[in-house]
Amino acid sequence: MFEKWRFWATPSELKAAGVLGMNRRNFEIIAQHNKRRLYPLVDNKVLTKQLARQVGIQTPNLIGVIESQHQVRQFLSLVKGHKDFVIKPAQGSGGKGVLVIKSYTQNHFRTASQRVLRFSEVYQHISNILSGLYSLGGKYDVAVFEELVHFSTMFQDYSFQGIPDVRIIVYQGYPVLAMMRLATRESGGRANLHQGAVGVGIDIQTGKAIAAVQHNRPVRYHPDTGKDLFSLQVPFWREHLEIASKGYDMTHLGYLGADIVLDRELGPMMLELNARPGLAIQIANQSGLQNALRRIDSLPSKSANYIDRVNAVLDRATDKNSDAFILK
Amino acid sequence: MFRKLQSVRLFLLIGLLLSIIYAGYGIYYKIRYWGFSFQPNQMTDVWTVEANISFEPTGDPIRVSISRPINTGSFKILDENIIAPRYQVQKDSKRIILSSSPRQKNQNIYYRVLLYDNVAEKKGIKDDKPHKVDIPLWDEQRKAVAYTILDRSKAQEGDRVQQIIRLLSQTPPDETVLAFMPERKSLKETADVICDLLAFERIPVHIVRGVRLEKDKKAFKSDVMIEAYLDSQWIIYNIETGEKGLPKDFIIFQRGGNSLVDVEGGENSLTRFSVMKSLTSSFNMAEHRAKTAHQEKLFAYSMYSLPLSEQNSLKWLMIFPLAILVVVVMRNMVGLKTMGTFTPMLIAMALVETGFVAGLVCFSIIVIIGLLIRAGLSRLNLLLVPRISAVVIFVILMIQIFTILGYHFHWDIASSALFFPIIIMAWIIERASIIWEEEGLKNAGKEVFFSVVVAVFTYFIIVNDYIRHIMFAFSELNLVLLFIVMLLGTYTGYRLTELIRFAPLSRSRKE
Repeated sequence: MFEKWRFWATPSELKAAGVLGMNRRNFEIIAQHNKRRLYPLVDNKVLTKQLARQVGIQTPNLIGVIESQHQVRQFLSLVKGHKDFVIKPAQGSGGKGVLVIKSYTQNHFRTASQRVLRFSEVYQHISNILSGLYSLGGKYDVAVFEELVHFSTMFQDYSFQGIPDVRIIVYQGYPVLAMMRLATRESGGRANLHQGAVGVGIDIQTGKAIAAVQHNRPVRYHPDTGKDLFSLQVPFWREHLEIASKGYDMTHLGYLGADIVLDRELGPMMLELNARPGLAIQIANQSGLQNALRRIDSLPSKSANYIDRVNAVLDRATDKNSDAFILK
Repeated sequence: MFRKLQSVRLFLLIGLLLSIIYAGYGIYYKIRYWGFSFQPNQMTDVWTVEANISFEPTGDPIRVSISRPINTGSFKILDENIIAPRYQVQKDSKRIILSSSPRQKNQNIYYRVLLYDNVAEKKGIKDDKPHKVDIPLWDEQRKAVAYTILDRSKAQEGDRVQQIIRLLSQTPPDETVLAFMPERKSLKETADVICDLLAFERIPVHIVRGVRLEKDKKAFKSDVMIEAYLDSQWIIYNIETGEKGLPKDFIIFQRGGNSLVDVEGGENSLTRFSVMKSLTSSFNMAEHRAKTAHQEKLFAYSMYSLPLSEQNSLKWLMIFPLAILVVVVMRNMVGLKTMGTFTPMLIAMALVETGFVAGLVCFSIIVIIGLLIRAGLSRLNLLLVPRISAVVIFVILMIQIFTILGYHFHWDIASSALFFPIIIMAWIIERASIIWEEEGLKNAGKEVFFSVVVAVFTYFIIVNDYIRHIMFAFSELNLVLLFIVMLLGTYTGYRLTELIRFAPLSRSRKE
């Protein structure tokens, strides 16, 4: 009876479930596999974009960059010819400071959440980006203008506003765990699990939903749209995995999170890479990371080729005894 | 990867072990030689024993020899001085010798000793082998009485010495005893009789003179006890009660052979004692103790020989490592998310200055008002640095108003505002408002709340008198803390909050 009400787990239970804790992630995974000097490659979105192009990863097209305060007033001339665009801080993280403009006139800008901003407000937003409001450690930053991803309508009902993205954890080049983040009304159209977005665990081999959580609790249906979350199937799954795997080739970060969105015309595109991906993905998958990481560690040889690595992930017969890939 | 972790841990564990050994020795050393203790504000009794020696000069060269207190282990000499104008002073380990050319007037010499209870050593009196005892050369009649008394004393309780003492001090007095010695006699006479009687039994014995430390005693004669060598050890006896052992508060000035005070070139000499008790703090005593233990060099380079103001600042600093340990534990083992790493520690320090309740109330008010102001500022769309600067200025103005109001209306709560670190407050407000905007009020409140929880925890540790005292008096412990903190840096286990966060994962496994 007591067991039923127990809201905690013992360390040995978590260990048995293969849960990776924050301390172990920092000490054993990130400190061992992510060299500090590589961080700027993923912390600066302009740099990431250039690198991505070199290894053949699609990213939203860069419209331009505003680097100094006196350029801010002319930002309209920068986006000339684009009917929609996204402004983001080059060194932001977790979607902070991202402004999505769906349509605009000289003085009115309509955002993704249907809010209408005046020119002065957008101007202010860009200024804030430059002064480092959204960057890590408050460093001076630049504002990146890029083309808007026209996200695939097939995810329409899975998300309340916002763009659903796929987060794939890549360990030593091998995709190990994936989830899709769906915005809710509660999360204010943001795909932030912390604020109440839904996290859907995605089977790494098939791209199908295997579990879903909101606020750490399992859910079956989207709280706003009512859509059955378990019917989710990410199309172009192999391409998703390839982008994630190539992320390793371009950064050599042994432990990274790749955020990928699906454009309805251009296919999967990499939005950003993260050198310190969070651990919530384990909850979304209802599965620990540890075993998946160990499995990669135990591979006899690691391939330098992303195609081989993705094949290794896709081809492995579903091992019913293994923890990480167990199906619901 | 795994092996590397092991070797780092091993290295740190060895470091921890060494630091514990070092700290252990340091604590032992300070307690033994400097008299430090684990109790804060401990006072030590300091006794001033003054011997006043007066005599009339005979016109011959004067030579006064005074016995110094004997180290019995329970008290140590802190300081001694002699007030004897124009006397030549010589000291050896046992006696002080004053000499002067012939004088006319009555002489008064003062010998003052400062003693403190000795925590360092409780060793017994050094055993010197007794000489062979000779039976007194008395006439047969007196000898016969002595033997009768010795015989009769066997009916008394206790060992041989106690039996004799008890028979002699019996009330009403024993008849034989009365024949042997007068009824009214001085302690010294009694002691002499006991010594003689014991000589017949061939028990080595001698007189012990000293002073009993009692509060504010003036002008009294020295106490007399005897010491007998029984079962191959010297035992002290009270000559009135026969009680064994050296009383705790007894200072021995003279033991055996030599007299307490010898005066040559003077007559009618009289020695009177006075005792005074005073208190001094253990820290004040430390230097004296270090000196008497011949450890003054080390002491001179310790922080306890610094001026008081520096000592106070260091005392404040010495508590920090412990506060830091709390923060490390709270973040890495418990997993509480706080604003900034050491913000809770800084809040806790402010709370120490302001007092607990007053500080917390004041802190909350400043943060709440600050957040409201900050919400107003965010509408103005200011740039980051000017905006946070504006918040800083607002906080300063708020503190100013609070302090003035607090002073005029005698609100302690308001006047405690002065002690909060301004920049820290401004950053707390700025961070809280950004979290509020980006992650909602709930998350902002949570983070502020957890910061305060950690601060309160830290507060109760650093405000504790015992802990403060121990961390200052035994600052070696900070080295131990250093290694504990570093070892925590290799802790890769789950955080307490993760046990809740990831609980659904373990349950789904069971199903």
